[in-house]
Amino acid sequence: MAEQRISRSFKDISLSFVPHPVTKDLQIIKNENAIRRSVRNIVETIPTERFFNSSFGSDVRGSLFDFVDFGTASVIQRQISIAIENFEPRVDNVNVDVNPQPDQNSFEVTIFFDIIGQEFPTQEYTFLLEATR
Amino acid sequence: MPFTKFTNLDFEQIKTSIKDYLRANSTFSDFDFEGSNLSILIDVLAYNTYITAFNSNMVVNESFLDSATLRENVVSLAKNIGYVPRSRTAAKATVSFSITTSENVPTLTLKRGLVCVGEASGTTYTFSIPEDITANVVDGSAQFNEIEIYQGTYLTKSFTYDGSLEQRFVLNNSYVDTSTLKVYVKKTSENGLGIEYNIVDNILNVDSKSRIYLIQEIQDEKYEIIFGDGIIGKKLGDEVTSDGTIITANYIVTDGRDGNGPSVFSFAGSIVKVVDDVETVIDPGNVTITTINPAINGSEIESVNSIKYYAPRVYSSQNRAVTSRDYEAIIKQIYPNTESVAVVGGEELDPPEFGNVLLSIKPKNGTYVSDFDKSRILSDLKQYTISGINQRIVDLKILYVEIDSAVYYNNSQISLESSLKTRVTDTLTKYSESIDLNKFGGRFKYSKVLQTIDNTDNAITSNITTVRMRRDLRSSINQLVQYELCFGNRFHVNPEGRNISSTGFTIFGETSTVYLTDTPTILLNNTAVTTATGASDLFLRRPQSIRATEGVISIFKIDSDGNRQIVVKDAGTVNYQTGEMVLGPINVTSTVKANDIIEVDAVPLSNDVIGLKDLYLVFDISKSQINMRRDVIASGDEITGNVFARDYYTPSYPTPKLIRN
Repeated sequence: MAEQRISRSFKDISLSFVPHPVTKDLQIIKNENAIRRSVRNIVETIPTERFFNSSFGSDVRGSLFDFVDFGTASVIQRQISIAIENFEPRVDNVNVDVNPQPDQNSFEVTIFFDIIGQEFPTQEYTFLLEATR
Repeated sequence: MPFTKFTNLDFEQIKTSIKDYLRANSTFSDFDFEGSNLSILIDVLAYNTYITAFNSNMVVNESFLDSATLRENVVSLAKNIGYVPRSRTAAKATVSFSITTSENVPTLTLKRGLVCVGEASGTTYTFSIPEDITANVVDGSAQFNEIEIYQGTYLTKSFTYDGSLEQRFVLNNSYVDTSTLKVYVKKTSENGLGIEYNIVDNILNVDSKSRIYLIQEIQDEKYEIIFGDGIIGKKLGDEVTSDGTIITANYIVTDGRDGNGPSVFSFAGSIVKVVDDVETVIDPGNVTITTINPAINGSEIESVNSIKYYAPRVYSSQNRAVTSRDYEAIIKQIYPNTESVAVVGGEELDPPEFGNVLLSIKPKNGTYVSDFDKSRILSDLKQYTISGINQRIVDLKILYVEIDSAVYYNNSQISLESSLKTRVTDTLTKYSESIDLNKFGGRFKYSKVLQTIDNTDNAITSNITTVRMRRDLRSSINQLVQYELCFGNRFHVNPEGRNISSTGFTIFGETSTVYLTDTPTILLNNTAVTTATGASDLFLRRPQSIRATEGVISIFKIDSDGNRQIVVKDAGTVNYQTGEMVLGPINVTSTVKANDIIEVDAVPLSNDVIGLKDLYLVFDISKSQINMRRDVIASGDEITGNVFARDYYTPSYPTPKLIRN
């Protein structure tokens, strides 16, 4: 398990690269938003995608072409939990809900987590996983 | 913190540098977390830097002969100093045969191309000739005597010169033996091959009318032909003064070293008769081929390491054989089958031979240079050497190194002991072919060999290896001769003797097989202690005044009870300090080993054996012992070490031997 760190303030760059409407500077994302974005990056990165860090990410995409049922959902759930546990040291109490939606051929993923050392409420982050090709 | 680590070639180090920079100079804080957006950007930056650094490093390395690794770059850099790497060389055999014919013609011609088929190690090889050979028909028989046939396939490539500067004449085959290349130029209207052009490797004595071409190696070990430009060498073209635009290149594509060996050939060539300038193929009937020389001297294309080594030397020799390095470079050029050359000036000999240069050449396949090759090398050398200096090629003196290795392995990590042993042998064979050894002045590096064995497989836990060195004494049968055998390395002295051992031989006046052994002459305060027991006692006490620098060689036989019986007590001397033995005069009548060889071995004082002066060092794997032993402790069979000490114990010191088998 990754080493746990006491959070202070987190400041990350936004990859949208849309200029700030007032300062015209690059936008930044802070604290819980930065962490939420990080969790999403970890889940959406395919292992071997990162240079020289082949184990980084989670292999949920490998499961998207399987049957959309609770069996596959549990595999995805496990993969996401392990990936966050391994690569995001700023969060704790990770809880992942994966609901299969056979009619839409997708999975609805909701991740709950606490940010270590900060007085933020439990974070919740939902996204859809679906095979795009 | 300033960002100054420009020399990093490691991705992680580059990434750390960027993070350090951001830590000191930016308001962002998330770069330490792999999932953050900033981390993705840092990855991209680091990767970009890494690729740029790698490319720069590669470009700089590939720009210099010493550090270049890609063959085409090494060849190109060598070309800048006028060096043309050797091509593959076809194995050559000499054969004779006769054709009986009922045709009433004065001559028969053996057409260039395929002539014979030979076999070696279960593989069939074709043999060709690069030019037609014509023989007279006498009494219905045409004799083709001592023709040289080249292993490989004969090919022809034609080009039409179009006058453009961009046109290149590339032979589209790898594995060409450039020594078989024949280039002809003719005009479009002409018949036949045309006028032959000759290869040159420098432009000395070349003028605007010289019919010459140069070759250079290009990508994928192919060759390009370069013709003259009208100033240096005759220009091609349709002008009256030019020879034409149709170029024909005939050459042989060979299997190189693999083609060595065939000695029995069957005829597969084409015999033609020429009547009124018309060639007609005739049936040669049943042709019996007599082999004069089997196929030898086939070699691979010059390796990158060899090019790097020889190109600067050939350049520095400037086509003059003055220093020993010059000889080394030039002999390699005129006798491509050379593996290593040792040159000793006559003034270094004892007694000195002023005006003589002694050359010792190790050919690639084999041990000795044939008399024919020797005379050819000496005659080719003449054009490079200084007047008044004579060269003499002396036969090679080989110092063999043999090891006796107990290799311990963890049997839980392997499936078959024999396959592990094969791998150890293969690894050692590879080491034995390395440049550490196969040269004059080579050194057998003991620690490297131990390391090589250990690194063969993870299952190998250790090895205990002892070293012996061996010289092969070529005896003169039925002649009373004094022999001198130099090992060039100090001997390890066992006070009780048995420091040297030999294979069996017979001498005049003794029917039994006899062997060589030695007894050290122990000096105590400069007085010899004669009895062996007394000597060993003294040795054990080791006062400083005791030493054994010399010994006496005896000849003994084994009697019917298996005991040693001295036949000649004082048959010679051995100097343990210089590693020199003088034997005889004795009259050897036969030897147990083939080719009149008596193998004599000794234990070196240092396990790093060197090839002194003209001794050529060879690591003889075939006569080395590799004994696989289970490491019962590492494999968990027992943990106390009792069984190991009792059944699997191996001494680190060589056991004295009476007889060499």
